[in-house]
Amino acid sequence: MVRRWEIGIGLTGLLFALFSLFFWFPNDIQGAFMETTRAGKPEPGDAFFPVLLAGFIAFIAAIQIVSALLKRDQEAQGSDYPRLDGENIKFLALFLAIILGSLAVVYWIGPLAVWLTQEELTYRQLVDTAPYKYLGVVVGGFALTFSLISWAEGRLRARSAVVSALLILVLILVFDVALTNIQLPPNADF
Amino acid sequence: MELAFDYILRGILSVFFTSEGAFIWLPVVMVLAGLVLGIVVGATPGLNGPFAMAIALPVLISAFGTGNDALLPILGFLIGIMKGATVGGAVPAILFNTPGTPDAYLTTLDGHPMTRKGQGYKALKVAHFSSVSGDTFSDIALFIAAPTLAVLIESALDLPEKAALIILSLSFMAAVSGKSVTKGLLVGGLGMLLALIGTTLSGYGPRMTMGVTDLGNGIPLTSAILGVLVLGEVFCAIEDRIHERRKNRQTEAPRESTDNSLSWVEAKRLLPTILRSASIGTAIGALPGIGTTLAATLGYEAARKRQKADAALGSGVPEGVAATEAANSAVSGANLIPVMSLGIPGNFAAVFLILAVESVGDFTFGPQVFRFTEIKVIEDYGTIINAELVIAFGIFTLMVLANLFNWTIGRYVMLSLGILAKIPVTITPALVLLITITAVYSQDGGFIAIWTALAFGLIGYVLRRLEISLLPFVIGFILSPKLEELIRGGFSGSGGDPFFLLKSPIALIFLLASVAIVLRATRKKENK
Repeated sequence: MVRRWEIGIGLTGLLFALFSLFFWFPNDIQGAFMETTRAGKPEPGDAFFPVLLAGFIAFIAAIQIVSALLKRDQEAQGSDYPRLDGENIKFLALFLAIILGSLAVVYWIGPLAVWLTQEELTYRQLVDTAPYKYLGVVVGGFALTFSLISWAEGRLRARSAVVSALLILVLILVFDVALTNIQLPPNADF
Repeated sequence: MELAFDYILRGILSVFFTSEGAFIWLPVVMVLAGLVLGIVVGATPGLNGPFAMAIALPVLISAFGTGNDALLPILGFLIGIMKGATVGGAVPAILFNTPGTPDAYLTTLDGHPMTRKGQGYKALKVAHFSSVSGDTFSDIALFIAAPTLAVLIESALDLPEKAALIILSLSFMAAVSGKSVTKGLLVGGLGMLLALIGTTLSGYGPRMTMGVTDLGNGIPLTSAILGVLVLGEVFCAIEDRIHERRKNRQTEAPRESTDNSLSWVEAKRLLPTILRSASIGTAIGALPGIGTTLAATLGYEAARKRQKADAALGSGVPEGVAATEAANSAVSGANLIPVMSLGIPGNFAAVFLILAVESVGDFTFGPQVFRFTEIKVIEDYGTIINAELVIAFGIFTLMVLANLFNWTIGRYVMLSLGILAKIPVTITPALVLLITITAVYSQDGGFIAIWTALAFGLIGYVLRRLEISLLPFVIGFILSPKLEELIRGGFSGSGGDPFFLLKSPIALIFLLASVAIVLRATRKKENK
């Protein structure tokens, strides 16, 4: 198992480097590896350094793979080897679902409220008007912190709700009341 | 010499007076506010100095702007946090046996037994005295070493040598900071590659954007760094809390106080231990990438070797607390030696100081700062002066101020924060997550900042779970554009010689040293 992870890490690096060298860079870097100046001298182009780096990654990844293949005694010490397992993936999936769900609320709750309550105005026109400008961070932010604290504690508690609400109040006071030249999410996107 | 004193004096005055001569209190207040916040953050389980610096930076930039006048107040606040958090970290370790960082774990070895003996507040006083002594010691080393090193480098190194020096630093960090050298080098390369997204040096338009127009100005730097350092840690912390919640360790309440004073005689007795540990911490801190944990371990081991029969380390003696706190605090000042003299960050706190400098004003860290240009006043033109050198001495002044506040006020703040150590660790990660999301959104002005932070947070999470050091990734990400500029400049300057790096003896020595360090570290780690 250990060896498989060691090889896997090397293989990921190698595949990333090869993908970069043969697909990503040719399609996404307009400059050449080497260019010629008006005086006729060669000089590095925009592809020069990325190609060097990708070559370096490929070289190190190859060393990682070869050294893992040569080390056969690793199998014995595998129980506490750091790895990502099914539990980590399950956590990440749920965790990202909570974050992305909360961010969706942050983004859409304001426009939705305007759509429901205003007939002629859009969210863009009310983006600097209370209470609409606070809706995203209040509802979405509360959903994010309250659900994550509750998940970490394994139960719903009034304390988690109060802490979440207090934090949002502080955020509004700092990022909207005290600092007037910046915007709370999602208002800069409208 | 007179010129040097002139610059030093101008640097000191720049903290207290505007260029028009009016008194300003802002930098001083910001240092004090940062220090208090740092101690509070350090004393709060689940938080640490770099967290607070990361979140404070976007807020500070929003509040003060990006003009030259904003630099010293912003740096003052960040330096205050950096120093305060080092001191505050001892509070939960000593009173509740809950170390927030690996180096604080060593403080628990004697600090918490002292608490169990009813000497918790004495342990805190020892921690404060040792920590601030170590910090002051390393700041003095910084004030002497950074200008000296910078002058040497600036006079001896050209583009190829500077490029080779960055390669040496990155190799060193990859070699020493993680469990595997090859994985360190791999993630270092990855960080460097990602930093090039959206940039160009040839005027062909942004490269490697994958069609995402929002990346046309490059990956938002602060969002990326906050993502990998703060969000990655938050992801892991929440997952750990979920796994740990059934175990729910009960912390032992401190006993009633018995002997909680720290007399001058006792403090004097601790001085040899503190000085030894401070020297170790300073030496370790001057090398980029090694960090406080090794310093604290070596400091503690050095004290253990010299322990007297009546002071057995591990049984709750002040020497144990002094040894670890002096060593890990001495790292923070010395870590700024490579930052100030080379522009190379050696730890995460230094990363945020570099980020602040990159975002605010015209000042940049590096050897060019310490050019002692002759000061000339030309009528109808102005003063010819190296303004960066004045700012550098202004930064040193801020550090001295932070130490003064730490010596005088810091102790009382620290002693009053025992209550914070009781904050449940289940709460702080979620709060830090929302604060970070709001901060990056506000600074970088849109959801692209949030997506960047989350994507880099995922990278940080994966690297942490695979126990691959983050430092090469972060430092590679920060230094990559500079290295590209140096390599392309050196290549063009050599007339297109592909072996230009090997033609300079100094650059060749640096490159050979890089290879030697990597090979030696690989062999050493394989034998473990």
